[in-house]
Amino acid sequence: MVETEIRTGTAGETRPRRDLAWLLQQSTAPALATAAVGAASLAVVIVGTLVRVSLGGWVPLRDEVAALTSSGLRALLVAAIVLGVAASAAGWSTYRRMPTRTSREEAVAGAVLGLQGVILGALILVFSYGNVERIAANYLRWSEVTDQVGAFLNGAKITLLLAIGGEFLGVILGVILAIFLISKRATVRAPARAYVNLFRGTPLLLQIAFIGLALPLGFNVHANVLLFALVAFTLNTGAYSAEVFRAGIQSIERGQMEAARGLGMTYLQAMRYAIIPQAVRRIIPPLMNEFVILIKDTSLIVVLGLTAGQRDLFNVGYQGYGNSFNATFYIFAGLGYLIVTLPLIRLVNWVEKRMRSGLVGVTGL
Amino acid sequence: MTAVPAADVPLGPLIRLEGLHKWFGDNHVLRGIDLEVQRGSVVVVIGPSGSGKSTLLRCMNLLEEPTEGRVFFEGVELTDVRTDLNRVRRRIGIVFQAFNLFPHMTAKQNITIALRKVLKMEREEAERRALDELRRVGLEGKADSYPGRLSGGQQQRVAIARALALRPHLMLFDEVTSALDPELVKEVLDAMRALAEQGMTMVVVTHEMAFAREVGTRLLFMDNGRILEDAPPRELFAAPRDERTKSFLAHVL
Repeated sequence: MVETEIRTGTAGETRPRRDLAWLLQQSTAPALATAAVGAASLAVVIVGTLVRVSLGGWVPLRDEVAALTSSGLRALLVAAIVLGVAASAAGWSTYRRMPTRTSREEAVAGAVLGLQGVILGALILVFSYGNVERIAANYLRWSEVTDQVGAFLNGAKITLLLAIGGEFLGVILGVILAIFLISKRATVRAPARAYVNLFRGTPLLLQIAFIGLALPLGFNVHANVLLFALVAFTLNTGAYSAEVFRAGIQSIERGQMEAARGLGMTYLQAMRYAIIPQAVRRIIPPLMNEFVILIKDTSLIVVLGLTAGQRDLFNVGYQGYGNSFNATFYIFAGLGYLIVTLPLIRLVNWVEKRMRSGLVGVTGL
Repeated sequence: MTAVPAADVPLGPLIRLEGLHKWFGDNHVLRGIDLEVQRGSVVVVIGPSGSGKSTLLRCMNLLEEPTEGRVFFEGVELTDVRTDLNRVRRRIGIVFQAFNLFPHMTAKQNITIALRKVLKMEREEAERRALDELRRVGLEGKADSYPGRLSGGQQQRVAIARALALRPHLMLFDEVTSALDPELVKEVLDAMRALAEQGMTMVVVTHEMAFAREVGTRLLFMDNGRILEDAPPRELFAAPRDERTKSFLAHVL
């Protein structure tokens, strides 16, 4: 029998090097200059504004306003806009004639960055001639928030407890439901399908209100309202994750089950050793997506009428706004969510990419 | 090779099909199949696509459940709901067109998983047998490779080794070379030829006419859900009786 080797690279040739020296050699001076000027334009707008305002101080408010309306900042922005226009004009007019792909990309990058510098610089400039005082007072009055930091931290804790608890318990419920959902027997599928349709077909807000308000009243049971909220999130997550599990298992090629059964494995053995290990890799990314959504959806407990210690991240901001009519509370709460969700979203994308590349060529066809 | 049946197995045909019909919805795929396969024979099934060859094969280990009719293997009726199919399937190996190796396991693990979980073998014994089977198909060096690192021909040989490791009495081959690049077909056919020479009972659905002629002891031509011809290969190739067989052979030879 002839052995055939699978080649993973181009044997016999060395892969061309793409280091800094190579990049410089591929560049031309005008292209580099365009890229540098464009980047400078955008950098001056962002860094310049942040530095100028920070030097003046973010608290108290009048220092912020003074910095934003200062003639120094305005002069800086005008300079950045001029740089941006220059980079844009140079880039757009020359990129077609650049001799190499690298130099062309540099010219385009300079033009695009310059354009972004112009747009952002112009926006801040126009803003600085507007009613800066009023806007800053409504959206950036950090002094309003500073004595609520403790409440926000407690809110973040409650948000995460509800989300993690709901996801964990919901996934357990989802696995059980999914086992029923993939049954070939309609009598087994039907109740699970009815459950899933009920919780996917009604608003989460309604479920929270019903379980958190109507059930305790109707059945005369009393407990911490957050406990009822956790029940609602668990039941809802159970329905959604059940569908994720079902889809993941059913996405595995039919031939895998046939091969396992053909070897004499029972249905459960085939599931455990052949199907589930493969399905898990496909299930994790959508499950993490569900978790990110749940983190944000915990804010819906707003309908439950919370006491001070029960408020989650959003509700601390909501309460603060209600007391002061100052939207800095919302900005602060929003930043709190981003601190948690952005790393998670990055993690999901990374895992997704890794799993996709890890599966290429594995299935054999 | 353990193609020799155990002493307690009743004599008679290894597998017997009686009045087999299969419908997929309104599609009548098998239209009355009666067939007996004797021990040690190599039955090759040919015919145009959609003629029901693969369905017939998959009915033999009940991966496909016949709509009507009965299947007997070593005297046991598989179509009886009380029969433990998991037990019977240990004795019937099947190899698929799409290989269907488990992609998350190495070549060796693909073989040991059934030995350990189905035959309840100890790890060391299972691994020894897996390596023996891999050596037999010339792949002992690939024991720790994942299927994704193997060529199609190598994957298919691992799939054959995986089926053989359970020491089956019957091997079913379902168009096992159809998904392979032409230069990889030979290595798989060679492995099957060696198996036939060792006396394994085989049912082979294929488009490889040369293989059918040289290795087959019996050739079936199927069309439209029926077996139209059943004869030794040389006879059938030399003098087909049915018009459809003639036109099919004229197209493929």
